[in-house]
Amino acid sequence: MSSRIPLVPENTVPLPSLKANNGLLSWVSSVDHKQIGIMYLIITLIYFLLGGVEALLIRVQLAHPGNDFLTPELYNQLFTMHGTTMIFFVVMPFLIGVGVYLLPLMIGARDMAFPRLNALSFWLFFFGGILLYYSFFTQSGAPDVGWFAYAPLSEKPFSLNKGPTYWALGLLASGIGSVASGLNNVVTILTMRTPGMTMRRIPLFVWMMLVTSLLLVFVIPIITAAFAMMLLDSILGATFFTPAHGGSAILWQHFFWGFGHPEVYILILPAFGIISEVIPVFSRKPIYGYEFVAASTVAIGLLSLGVWAHHMFAVGLGNVTNAFFSLASMLIAIPTGVKVLNWVATMWGGRINFATPMLFGTAFIIEFVIGGLTGVAIASVPIDWVVTDSYFIVAHFHYAIFGGSVFAIFAGVYYWFPKFTGRMLSETLGKWHFWLTVIGFNMTFFIQHFLGVMGMPRRTYTYYDMPYWGPMNLISTIGAMILGLSVIVFVWNILVSLRHGKPAGDNPWNAWTLEWATTSPPAVENFELVPPVRGRRPLWDLAHPDMPDEPDAKIV
Amino acid sequence: MKHASHYNDLGFELTIDLNPSLRQITMENLGGLFNPSSPEMEAMAGLTYYTIAITVVILGIIVIAVAYIIIRYRKKPGDDSEPYQDFGNIKLEIVWTAIPIAMVAVLFLLTCSTMKTVDPPAGDREPDLVIIGHQWWWEIRYPSSGVSTSNEIHIPAGEKMLVRLESIDVIHDFWVPELGRKIDLVPGHPNYIWLVAGKPGVYLGACAEFCGEQHANMRIRVVAEPEDEFNKWQDEQLAIPRTPTEGIAGEGAKLFQTMACMNCHTIRGTAAAARVGPDLTHLADRATIGAGVLTNTPENLAKWLANPQRYKQGAFMPNMKLSDSEVKSIVAYLEALDEQ
Amino acid sequence: MANNKMLVGFFIASESIFFLMLILAYVNFHGSVTSGPTAVNSLNPVVTGIFSLFLFASSFTIWLAGKSLREKNHFMLKVWILATIALGAVFIFGQGLEWSGLIDKNITISRNVFGTTFFTLTGFHGFHVCVGLIMLSLLLGLALAGDFKGPKSDAVECISLYWHFVDGVWVVVFSVIYLWAFL
Repeated sequence: MSSRIPLVPENTVPLPSLKANNGLLSWVSSVDHKQIGIMYLIITLIYFLLGGVEALLIRVQLAHPGNDFLTPELYNQLFTMHGTTMIFFVVMPFLIGVGVYLLPLMIGARDMAFPRLNALSFWLFFFGGILLYYSFFTQSGAPDVGWFAYAPLSEKPFSLNKGPTYWALGLLASGIGSVASGLNNVVTILTMRTPGMTMRRIPLFVWMMLVTSLLLVFVIPIITAAFAMMLLDSILGATFFTPAHGGSAILWQHFFWGFGHPEVYILILPAFGIISEVIPVFSRKPIYGYEFVAASTVAIGLLSLGVWAHHMFAVGLGNVTNAFFSLASMLIAIPTGVKVLNWVATMWGGRINFATPMLFGTAFIIEFVIGGLTGVAIASVPIDWVVTDSYFIVAHFHYAIFGGSVFAIFAGVYYWFPKFTGRMLSETLGKWHFWLTVIGFNMTFFIQHFLGVMGMPRRTYTYYDMPYWGPMNLISTIGAMILGLSVIVFVWNILVSLRHGKPAGDNPWNAWTLEWATTSPPAVENFELVPPVRGRRPLWDLAHPDMPDEPDAKIV
Repeated sequence: MKHASHYNDLGFELTIDLNPSLRQITMENLGGLFNPSSPEMEAMAGLTYYTIAITVVILGIIVIAVAYIIIRYRKKPGDDSEPYQDFGNIKLEIVWTAIPIAMVAVLFLLTCSTMKTVDPPAGDREPDLVIIGHQWWWEIRYPSSGVSTSNEIHIPAGEKMLVRLESIDVIHDFWVPELGRKIDLVPGHPNYIWLVAGKPGVYLGACAEFCGEQHANMRIRVVAEPEDEFNKWQDEQLAIPRTPTEGIAGEGAKLFQTMACMNCHTIRGTAAAARVGPDLTHLADRATIGAGVLTNTPENLAKWLANPQRYKQGAFMPNMKLSDSEVKSIVAYLEALDEQ
Repeated sequence: MANNKMLVGFFIASESIFFLMLILAYVNFHGSVTSGPTAVNSLNPVVTGIFSLFLFASSFTIWLAGKSLREKNHFMLKVWILATIALGAVFIFGQGLEWSGLIDKNITISRNVFGTTFFTLTGFHGFHVCVGLIMLSLLLGLALAGDFKGPKSDAVECISLYWHFVDGVWVVVFSVIYLWAFL
């Protein structure tokens, strides 16, 4: 091979060797999947705090009717930024980051298939977020048109400020990064597995990341195209979404939700993956119905592509269209139900160790089921007509995304923190964190179901003093404060445990997947020796040579 | 309805007197879904209750199962044995796939039949009402009689009104929780709904689609009246008031014609015929100002005119920098229009 | 490594969705233009059709380039890459002519929804052709420097795949914009 660096590596090019503790530059220049994964996690934690502060400000404003704590302008900016931040700069990149860290380890690989592309994904996400938040420092302020940015409100002449432009540019950049992540994950999972690790044996987290990554690859371009059109509208005067000039307001909604609903599954499927790892390990049993959990993921991924218009039942698309999307949306309940029941069946008959990851994992089942069941209800068109754009919906999707994704994320953090850092998180602080989260979360959001059906619309900076609305909102605000407190405990736990946590050892949970077969944290090259894979639980097989999962499996 | 209390967003003149009957939790006081007041809303509420009941049962089963697991299968201290390794059961998987399929099928059938009840086809019928969304108020037109008003919809109780909904600017959503479904007002895409109130009363609603800075203050009042009262109201609205020429009201009329007021507003019987803002011919007849931000009293109207931005920041009515006496005259004029 | 080609394959799938959205936007507004420029009254299918032939021909030449590499014919590899670049450049030149003619007639992206969707769709396609031309030029530079020994090269095969894709998109775009309007 010539000394010139070829455009596309013809062979495996040795990666620059990096020492993990070589100062900031070693992080910035890193193409190591573990360092990039950690950077994702740190940045998403910062955004989680920012988005959380935005949420608390919103709740303070709504603590009693007629409050003037925030101006309407600022309130609208805050709820827009809260939604955008939590979806695109917290949950999504956290799950991508955890995936980037764990995928190669779980499949016994040295790194991702394309380490430099991996770094590009991260930096696109990083600068996308900066572009979005920079808008706060401009004269026109942050975007104030909602995370869905419905046209024509988001366009001239109804939005003359540059907020929506920053919004679209920031999300465009990070979106391209997400596509690159998706491509990288797919190729890594399909081609880099260690011998013996067939597709029927990969951990369920890997299955869920595969489906999620395919969704990223096929769904993000929808919104990329829509962002391009929106930017052409605002910068070059195109007329895609301006009804006054022949454009269509409804087209934006089709494009946005064509992306936006699969996005919901991008946020939840990896969370399902985390739960599918945590529950078996802490129940000391294999996952119940592996094939069904994996196949139902594929079913959810496919169905998610055909349900977007359930966000548009109030638009007036006609009853036939509405009925179609209603049915498609209800069908998603079936594979989702299969998953929940398999998790419960996995716990059944186990010896369950309720350490913090399992506490969050168990609570996840209940909270997510609440969000899922209200989801089935609102898939019914007339029920949607009653509750859409009301606080019922706010409650519903917080149960799905906080009670679902974020609870799973907490479970994942407590589960893998020892692997990431070599130290355990404090169980005492973890239990405080858990109980404060459960109390604060349910107190904040459960009551919003009732506010919604009683007639309180979403996205209003103030509300009328209808009977009981004030006290109910106050309860919700107090719950949010408790939730805020729980996050402080969480961050405190991380900071304390990083220095003083109990040393973890290679496999503190006695888990079975390959990431636990190496040191904590893993060395640059991940494994000295990848254990033989003859089943779904290679470390179980090693520990129990007398009763392997697949007794007839041949050694590869 | 009793709970038509209003506050203003600066905290003064709070008119919430939570009357004793409101302290009791009744369906009527809870409002919205708990107090369906039209056949359409009753159908939707019925479906919602039914569905929520089923979901509560499912949730209950799962909660009980998990609670049982937590008690029964918690690891005992010192027990480090591994439990029986159970990999799954295909029959069980088939059963718990099939049961939800059956439930979804039932829910879907109920969904379709309720949709039909709520949204029966209108045929060629002309709309009885046209509602046009503006940032941030509602223009209400009655095509057959020619009545034009804003934010306050009068309908004859018990009668099915076909409503056509349009938007002049961005997407809004018409929502009166006790009367029926939400429906978007989409620019370039008119929609139709049926609006019915089973019995006379005042039904409050609001814009439900985020529509910009003052989305929170885009309220709707539906006043359902017996047929004869509705007709009387309609006749009053149609009356073209005489323009006062004398006194303080006469001053106000002159100011209205000479200042920028008439660039945006209509007062029938005068040269003011613009449709940018609400028709003010019978303003004094309406219950609120600014789509619900203030109760409509002469004092509040004066406050509003002195600085609308103070009460509804971002609204398109500018602060006209009127002097106190100018405000007084214009209030007198607007009040006088309705006294005739 | 199969990785590279698999990556490009999925990337092309992703890009196809992007173009599908632009095409759907064009189709959505196709019937809604009531006044002003439309495809029928402002485009010339014959001239654009002729320039399109250059692009279609370039798919053939890039295939020949790959074939030359497999036969270890390094001279013809360079010739065919150069020919591909030339044909692609002629196509872009034709698109430039078409655009400047339209803009002279005050048909722009902001004129009406036809202008909006037409310029967006052809513009993004043209952008992809330009990116392809840059990559082909790099390929040519590497070929001139003797980087490709043959018979296989992921770089040549991946860029060739991409170039076929850009070509394929134009087949659809040309059909939707020109053939639909004039046939």
